Amino acid sequence: MSAHESQLLQVNIGPQHPSTHGVFRMEVTLDGETVVALRPVFGYLHRNHEQLAEASSYIQTMPYTDRLDYFNSMTSNYGYALAVERLAGIEVPQRASYIRALMSELTRILNHATAIGFMINDMGAWHTALQFGMREREKILDLFEMASGARMMCNYFRFGGVVRDLPPEFLPYFDQLMRGLPAFFDEFEQLLRDNEIIVARSSGIGILPRDVAASYSVTGPVLRGSGVPYDIRRAEPYGIYGELAFDIPVGSVGDVYDRTLVRFAEMRQSYRILQQIRERLPDAGGGHINPALANFGKQKALRPPAGEAYARVESPKGELGFYLVSDGSAQPYRYKVRAPSFINLTPLGAMCRGHLLADVVVILGSIDIVMGEVDR
Amino acid sequence: MSSEQQPGVIVVDRGHPATRDGRGLARGIGVVLRHLRDAFGPRLERPEQTSGVFTVQYPEERTPLPEASRNLPILLFDDDSGHELCTSCYQCERICPPQVIHITQARDPASGKAVPAIDEFILEYDACMSCGLCAEVCPFDAIKMDHAFELSTATRDPLTVDRAGLARPVSYYAQLAPQAWAEARDGAMKKLQGSRRRRTGTVGMTPARAAPPAADEPAAPTAGAAPASQPASGEPAAASDAKAARLAAIRARNAARQREGGDS
Repeated sequence: MSAHESQLLQVNIGPQHPSTHGVFRMEVTLDGETVVALRPVFGYLHRNHEQLAEASSYIQTMPYTDRLDYFNSMTSNYGYALAVERLAGIEVPQRASYIRALMSELTRILNHATAIGFMINDMGAWHTALQFGMREREKILDLFEMASGARMMCNYFRFGGVVRDLPPEFLPYFDQLMRGLPAFFDEFEQLLRDNEIIVARSSGIGILPRDVAASYSVTGPVLRGSGVPYDIRRAEPYGIYGELAFDIPVGSVGDVYDRTLVRFAEMRQSYRILQQIRERLPDAGGGHINPALANFGKQKALRPPAGEAYARVESPKGELGFYLVSDGSAQPYRYKVRAPSFINLTPLGAMCRGHLLADVVVILGSIDIVMGEVDR
Repeated sequence: MSSEQQPGVIVVDRGHPATRDGRGLARGIGVVLRHLRDAFGPRLERPEQTSGVFTVQYPEERTPLPEASRNLPILLFDDDSGHELCTSCYQCERICPPQVIHITQARDPASGKAVPAIDEFILEYDACMSCGLCAEVCPFDAIKMDHAFELSTATRDPLTVDRAGLARPVSYYAQLAPQAWAEARDGAMKKLQGSRRRRTGTVGMTPARAAPPAADEPAAPTAGAAPASQPASGEPAAASDAKAARLAAIRARNAARQREGGDS
């Protein structure tokens, strides 16, 4: 049928497009409605994060890490604090580690609840599913505000601990929230899990085989959705994660649906971890910060010995790593962020090839990116 | 793929497509309908509740802010004497990650010697990122984070706030953060006594107290109000030029001070 042979069409999605989750561009080559090739283009939100850190003292970078993945400032803080602690050889009291893990797991729940919501948003179910996730997120943000003073830009972690102990009203609110969470998980799954439209839109879409996922060094729920049980909390436990019992949910196909299901399951695992933390928190020894660094002047004047350190945490989006080189001065000689959103985005072309244009935004939504972290 | 099941790893259940005949959709709609019904019900009061009215009718209704809540920095002055707690030690100016704080130190009008008080204190609210490091570093508890968040202005210029615009009485902060102030109070007041001994006349007094306010000038600026001393008139371009010139003057004066040998 040479008369009807179609011509390839190049379409730009973004950089200003509501479904690209920020300023992100995709160069899509289409044959009809089918994607032949897709090239992700980033860099529109570049703001010198790493260079800025190299010109700032160590503690001055802490508030900037909030702005990497602005949904999960707590885990970004955690990764950076961990890297500096490793570099300077700072001990963290047990209670501080528990508080840190508690914040990280709350972050994971809020991230996954909204990530699923936003992905359903991209499918066209405009904001209904998202509101369920947003409601729980608001409550968790209330907790963050109590502890840190800010809802999103928490700036809560300090080297050797956290900035202040949990306020008295924190745990009662937390306990109440925990009582409601299982009902939320059930309801959220009831709403979305078996929904025929969602299954039809996500099942078999954007398959990322496990060897391809591994070769792109994809991490987080995207990798686990492809069936690789790799989780930094298990592979290289940090803080108190070595003592906590939890399962790693993995997918079997590696499509959009699996990634969504993995996120559902991870929220329940985070809930399990939170229960264990809540049980042990009152008995955890030590204060909220290492006494040697409790004075802010010590944080400010921190000069780690010359050397290098890499620390990674399991952020809700994947492996978030911070690499620091110190020359013994008050400013890092080199500072590098290994951002999961950025690396998970690289196989987007491989995932979208052969699918319809309408599926591209769903696949992008299932990767769960935050442009603040992609571009830095 | 799930053949090599490891301990601690669970394979998520993809359900059974054969049984999906619209029931999944119906269950989901059931959830939405239940929430629709509850939307006419009572307000959701405790965080454990997951159904009900969650929305707050801002600005008529407001949820209380926790004590730790932080938005933008303010400068405290003593209610009784009108003296500012700030001694211009430059700690906040140095720690500020976006470098939005600009300070010059006051000098004794008679002897010309530097005294522990501020002459100028300019904070660019428009570039402040509310990280709170200035309040954390301040050894005199002079700079604190305000709770006020309704700061919208029609132009950018009122967001360069000077000493008068930043001034808040200690009692205002004590009411925002009773616990934090209870802990800091004694030390802060003792340090203020110390610095007051080296101040003369109206040096170190908050502008509104140092010079009695004119009739059209509000005595204590309300939260988020544009600073009274900012000229309201003037075209924006001229105002931003004036701001740049002012900041350049501060930098030059501080550089000169450092060359002199940093008498503080």
